[in-house]
Amino acid sequence: MNLAAGETRANPPKWWRPDRHNERRSLTLCAVAAVLGLAIAGVGLFNARGTRIAGVPPEDAAVVNRSPILLSDYVAQLQALYSVSPSEATPAQKRATLDSMIREELYVQRGIELGLQNDFIEVRNALVTAVEAQQEIDANATVPTEQELRDFYQSHLQSFQPEGQMTVTDYVAPDLASAQRAVMAVRSGKDLASAMVADGLHSSGATDDGEEFYFAAEQHLGPTLFAIAKRLSDGQVSDPVTEGGRVHVLAMHSNRQPAPEDYSQARDQVLAAYRTDKIARMRAGTDRFLRERADVQIAKPLQ
Amino acid sequence: MQVNQALRPASARSIRLRRIGLLVAMSLLLILAVAIVLRERRERTDLLQADADRIIDDARLAPKALAAGRDVFRTNCAGCHGADGHGSTATGTPDLTDQDFLYGTGRASEIEQIVLHGIRSGDDKGWNLASMPAYGHSVPYAREKLPSLSPGEIEQLTSFLRALNGSTSEDPTVVAAGNVLYEGRGGCWDCHGRDVQGDAAIGAPNLSDGKWLRGDGSRRDISRIIREGLHGVSPAFRGRLDPAKIRAVAVYVASLHARKEHE
Repeated sequence: MNLAAGETRANPPKWWRPDRHNERRSLTLCAVAAVLGLAIAGVGLFNARGTRIAGVPPEDAAVVNRSPILLSDYVAQLQALYSVSPSEATPAQKRATLDSMIREELYVQRGIELGLQNDFIEVRNALVTAVEAQQEIDANATVPTEQELRDFYQSHLQSFQPEGQMTVTDYVAPDLASAQRAVMAVRSGKDLASAMVADGLHSSGATDDGEEFYFAAEQHLGPTLFAIAKRLSDGQVSDPVTEGGRVHVLAMHSNRQPAPEDYSQARDQVLAAYRTDKIARMRAGTDRFLRERADVQIAKPLQ
Repeated sequence: MQVNQALRPASARSIRLRRIGLLVAMSLLLILAVAIVLRERRERTDLLQADADRIIDDARLAPKALAAGRDVFRTNCAGCHGADGHGSTATGTPDLTDQDFLYGTGRASEIEQIVLHGIRSGDDKGWNLASMPAYGHSVPYAREKLPSLSPGEIEQLTSFLRALNGSTSEDPTVVAAGNVLYEGRGGCWDCHGRDVQGDAAIGAPNLSDGKWLRGDGSRRDISRIIREGLHGVSPAFRGRLDPAKIRAVAVYVASLHARKEHE
């Protein structure tokens, strides 16, 4: 710009001339920037509302400090509270539902700020359960192939056999000799009931309810007698057994040993067991990973 | 200069025109792409913000939702429920095309919750209230103390249920004993109801309608369910599928039985 005749250019202050080095100017600008920065931080600190996002995503009902309140949760809450869908709900119902959900979210966030997970057992338990549940969700979300299921079935055949069933009578003898005589008589072809009566044996009543699953028979007979009964075939009687101060003779009427079900019959159980197994493996993996990643220091007296 | 202009090849102008044309074409393509993206976003927003139960009757939203839902179903659901949604009584996977609802009443919003959070999936918001106990085991039910049943008692319950579903070959004495068990020690009524019609709030099936989740109602199948229990799992797709896809597949599944209803 040309100056007209007689005009004089007002010279800027010496310290403001950018072509000249000036320490005072540098320091002043630094100070101004620092004060401005502190002021912005202070305003942010005392009026913090979090960083706002541009609008609420369509899948959310609200966003609270960047944490979404899912529309699906809102719909479920409306249904739970008032048994209505969004289009049936009144404005007041919608407002009350959303308000309660926003309040809950604010309190959850406040709880995390306060570190309540350190103080409340329920919160700690809930967090542990939630992490474990996440592993379960992940395991359940993967669908194994038929071949994977068949392989699992083959390698865990024992798990897919229903309980065995038996109908057994537990006779109690007056003494060992009577028991031996009765057993001999039955084994030589005499009728069971009359042989037992003849030698004074009577039922203990432990298994008189008819056919039982193995677990029930074990409970009723006890482990020693059950182990003997399990090996008897239909129509067989056991040798006399002294157990609990009494002499027993077991007469097996029917013994259906457990046998694995066909894959086609057991498929739903195989799938359930496969998933359970996967969850256990994932949990073990997570435990390992967390321990490896963590800096765990143990007090000397406890080492 | 005049000489230079005269010497300028005629192609120079066409090159400039071509460049302008290219620029215009690219701009149009960009505008088209932006318009498509904006339109898809609008449709996604409309789908998500509409009332799930009303989408199927919305002439604008329904066709797209059904088409998208069918694709999602084929990829994520057909493996268990079958391509046609009929499920399988061999594996105990429910038929999604009938009017026999295990959970809820078959509305799209209810189905959406199942797709999101699953059934016995581990998701806390899913359906996890109950499962069929295995009465032929020493601990039939992990969550609650229930008595085991003997093979004879399982036989009685089986006869009772078969008689309820029209079998005329059951021994009335055994059926009566099964009824007593149902209403008493077995605790069956607690989930399946005194009227044996089930409870859709906990996924307990109606046991008197002749429809069976697993098997065909034969003596063998019924007694196996009582003996071994039933606890099918539907995975939770929250976080695995886009919410719009979840909404779409819920609408599609709701349409399967709605269609059948209209047939």
